[in-house]
Amino acid sequence: MFTNLYPLAAIVGQDQLKQALLLAAVNPLLSGVLIRGEKGTAKSTMVRGLSQLLPELDVVQNCPFGCSPRNGDVRCTSCSQENAVHITVKKQVPLVTLPLNGTEDRVAGGIDFPKSLQQGKVVCAPGLLAQANRGILYVDEVNLLDDHLVDLILDASASGINRVEREGLSFTHPASFLLVGTMNPEEGELRPQLLDRFGLCVDLKGEEDPEKRVELMLRRESFDADPTVFIHQYERQTDMLRQQIVQARQALDLVQVSKYMRGFISELCVENNVAGHRADLVLEQASRAIAALEGAHEVTFDHIQQIAPLVLLHRRREAEPPPPPPPPEQDNQEQEQQEESPQEENQEQQQNEQESGEQDQGQQPPQAEESPDEQSEQGEEEQPVPMPQVEKEDQVFAIGSTFRVKAIVSAKDRVFRRGSGRRSRTRVAQKNGRYIKSTMHQNGDLALDATLRAAAPYQKQRGSQDGMAVHIHSQDIRGKIREKRIGNFLLFVVDASGSMGARGRMAASKGAIMSLLLDAYQKRDQVSMITFRRKEAMVNLPPTTSVDLAGKLLAEMPVGGRTPLSAGLAKSHEQVRNYLVKNPTGRPIVVFLTDGKCNVSLGQDKPVPESMLLASALARDERCRYIVVDTEDQGVVTFGLAQQLAGAMQAQYFKIDDLKAESLVNIVKGQSV
Amino acid sequence: MKKAPIYPFPAIVGQEKMKLALILNIINPGLSGVLIRGEKGTAKSTAVRALADILPEIQVFDNDPFQLDPEKEKEEFHSIQAALGIQEKPTLPVVTQKKVQVVELPVGATEDRVVGTLDLEYALKKGEKRVEPGILAKAHRNILYVDEVNLLDDHVVDVLLDSAAMGVNTIEREGVSFSHPARFTLVGTMNPEEGELRPQLLDRFGLCVNIEGIQTADDRVAIMERRAAFDQDAETFSKQWLEQSRQLADQILSARKLYPEVTVEKELLFEIANTCLEVGVDGHRGDIIMLKTSKTMAAFDGRNAVTSADVRNAADLVLPHRVRRQPLMDIAENVQSLRKRATA
Repeated sequence: MFTNLYPLAAIVGQDQLKQALLLAAVNPLLSGVLIRGEKGTAKSTMVRGLSQLLPELDVVQNCPFGCSPRNGDVRCTSCSQENAVHITVKKQVPLVTLPLNGTEDRVAGGIDFPKSLQQGKVVCAPGLLAQANRGILYVDEVNLLDDHLVDLILDASASGINRVEREGLSFTHPASFLLVGTMNPEEGELRPQLLDRFGLCVDLKGEEDPEKRVELMLRRESFDADPTVFIHQYERQTDMLRQQIVQARQALDLVQVSKYMRGFISELCVENNVAGHRADLVLEQASRAIAALEGAHEVTFDHIQQIAPLVLLHRRREAEPPPPPPPPEQDNQEQEQQEESPQEENQEQQQNEQESGEQDQGQQPPQAEESPDEQSEQGEEEQPVPMPQVEKEDQVFAIGSTFRVKAIVSAKDRVFRRGSGRRSRTRVAQKNGRYIKSTMHQNGDLALDATLRAAAPYQKQRGSQDGMAVHIHSQDIRGKIREKRIGNFLLFVVDASGSMGARGRMAASKGAIMSLLLDAYQKRDQVSMITFRRKEAMVNLPPTTSVDLAGKLLAEMPVGGRTPLSAGLAKSHEQVRNYLVKNPTGRPIVVFLTDGKCNVSLGQDKPVPESMLLASALARDERCRYIVVDTEDQGVVTFGLAQQLAGAMQAQYFKIDDLKAESLVNIVKGQSV
Repeated sequence: MKKAPIYPFPAIVGQEKMKLALILNIINPGLSGVLIRGEKGTAKSTAVRALADILPEIQVFDNDPFQLDPEKEKEEFHSIQAALGIQEKPTLPVVTQKKVQVVELPVGATEDRVVGTLDLEYALKKGEKRVEPGILAKAHRNILYVDEVNLLDDHVVDVLLDSAAMGVNTIEREGVSFSHPARFTLVGTMNPEEGELRPQLLDRFGLCVNIEGIQTADDRVAIMERRAAFDQDAETFSKQWLEQSRQLADQILSARKLYPEVTVEKELLFEIANTCLEVGVDGHRGDIIMLKTSKTMAAFDGRNAVTSADVRNAADLVLPHRVRRQPLMDIAENVQSLRKRATA
């Protein structure tokens, strides 16, 4: 509208993406291109350039859905009527950018407010999907898109038809479009269904060659200096590309795929262990498109090999679960030792705490300093003796391997909140999110369907004075109640006492916390961290959205000393209370990482009963949700203190392994969520 | 209403990097914004306001909510009127002069307020469209100041940066689709302890400055003295700095004129590309912005050729927040040392 677009032909490098976009433009059966990778690599520029490049469409005049005038094509209800007269006009290929925060009625179509009122009947307003019909639908950061919007798009792109059935609306229109999405994998992965919907996938990187980078800077600068002149310079190349596309589109139907080549395609797909058959189909279509672009009449090995990486990149699966990234050396060592004699150790633990401590010492020469600490500590558990004057030296353990964590969400309720994020579903006091029902309450977010229904019975009485078909008074106005996902507040309470240092537990625990933190980052949570060791609990990290900071603190967190679990519980309560004062509608989730063993009490009671008492007191606050992650070694015999703790505060109980998203046991089952 | 007096820009002690980044952005809004990371009470908003104050006035149509340029944006004016369904008058509205404004975006701002929205209740009762322009319309040709940009909702930041990059704002809500130009100098501030911006959003800010309180006692005393003098008698104080303010304003104006003529030698272009490669930045935005920044620096200096020093100085402003990092890593503080490490 107000801008000149940078021509696709003038893009430096990025040949793979250029090719993918051209192929998708030639063969609509490819249905989509997913661009993964770095920011600032001309992704949007290229997609915009592509829309300029495509030949203009023949459309029926005034059709909001951009229907084709040719008989036999899928068309909307009004255009496919027998006696409809079609005036053909030319139209630029539409490029529609889907905003991340789009509402459902904006995307799929909703009610046209002013027209509905003037005409006195419901008039549909076509949504973005209608606008994108026969064009390009561009979704920046597609992995951050709301789930219900993803479903809408999936549905439309699979069937080529958009069906709207809500708010008293019911209409259907064609919606076939080229779906182009971009994503940065660090920000969370895409749902597999949607991933598979993209025919081609390209991993983008910046150019490595300084020559090209310089060329790129120069072009950009001269474009910015005078866009019109710049575009004119590349006009010839742009025309050539356009010609190529037009010719390839015509040639596409003529391209043959021999049986032998089909065999090669399916072999390739089997080799890469892809799911389903879409890969085979897409690969065939893509190689046909390449052949058409090159002017060949038959698909050759070369064509298939050229395009196979783009088709298989996002569909390839490992035959076995991928090996975890190599953990730090120290961690490794410990794990090995642990594997050597877990059985033995546990038996000994059962027999005598004291002895088990000694056993540790013998088994772990590299960790010699810490073992006596643990020894004295575990001894104390039985009979409290005065604290040793000299604390053993603290240790810092590396972060163990991370993994994808299970979904942890807080329960749905009726409270309205504000914010963004991707963890728990909640009602929101904002204008984005999904419209679930209407309310008498006027909240500035008008629900037209409900308002019209409310006004309907009074229409006769109100009569007409101002030329409006419908008469709405203030008391008819209804507001929308919307729902969406927002981030939560996660409080980590971490046991950093000496007992956690044993046998790689801390490395594993840190790995678990790190995994939870990464999850928190992707879901845009606020996090806070408390550690307890020696005599007290400390707030290491006040509530922040800076998961970075939490990660850094975690890496530096020292371990050593005794275990004041009660202090940790008390501190967590304090922190939660503070948070709730500031955010009365917040629903914090508190994650305890501990083995449950404790040996320092706050008052006169023995540590274990005291902590249990505190825990059950914490459970009384219904606004807060607790999770206990048990870090105790899982052998034949365990103390199960963490489990008792979880029971006392009515918390969800996980072992570290249970947290992993891949693990089969569904712990959440049976939880009152 | 008498306006509160504004502290003169040249009288701000220290914070040279921040001042430079702001000036560069004023000269060339194509640098797409400055992000100021740092502590409270380091003259961030004072500097922005002061800078706006010394800039020459802009011409606008009287009472135009979209602040269009009467000379260059007549076409847009007509198309907006048409889109809003306003009956056009035969003559264009009166042109008036207006000071460059600092438009503030509050932390709690909703998307409606930022982008603009359709007044639905009005539409229901009268059957007519009424668009309420948002903050982006107000910010056109002005300075948009976003305090605590890291605390804003992600999608609001997205919209902001998109508009800043494209120069256009589109209202897409409830069946309305409506665009208006929105070219502004974006200034964001944040305190990193309260949470980082996502790397994508970080990358969209052209320049980034880390600031901290001034550590030398002499300068701190100077700050106190000047502030006290200003509070006591703003008028006299401003007068003392009037000459310097005017000089700076002239310098900015002539730099704007000079910018298109600034040339860069091939060698320096390679230096830019190699610097970006060595410190490892994602994508090419770093290169492009660095080139623009060096050119703007040369223009600000009154030269029509970029020097090696320009490139080095530009790197300090452009690269720190772009260096590739894992999601849980700290932002680079010092580009030069990074580069040394990479080449060693």
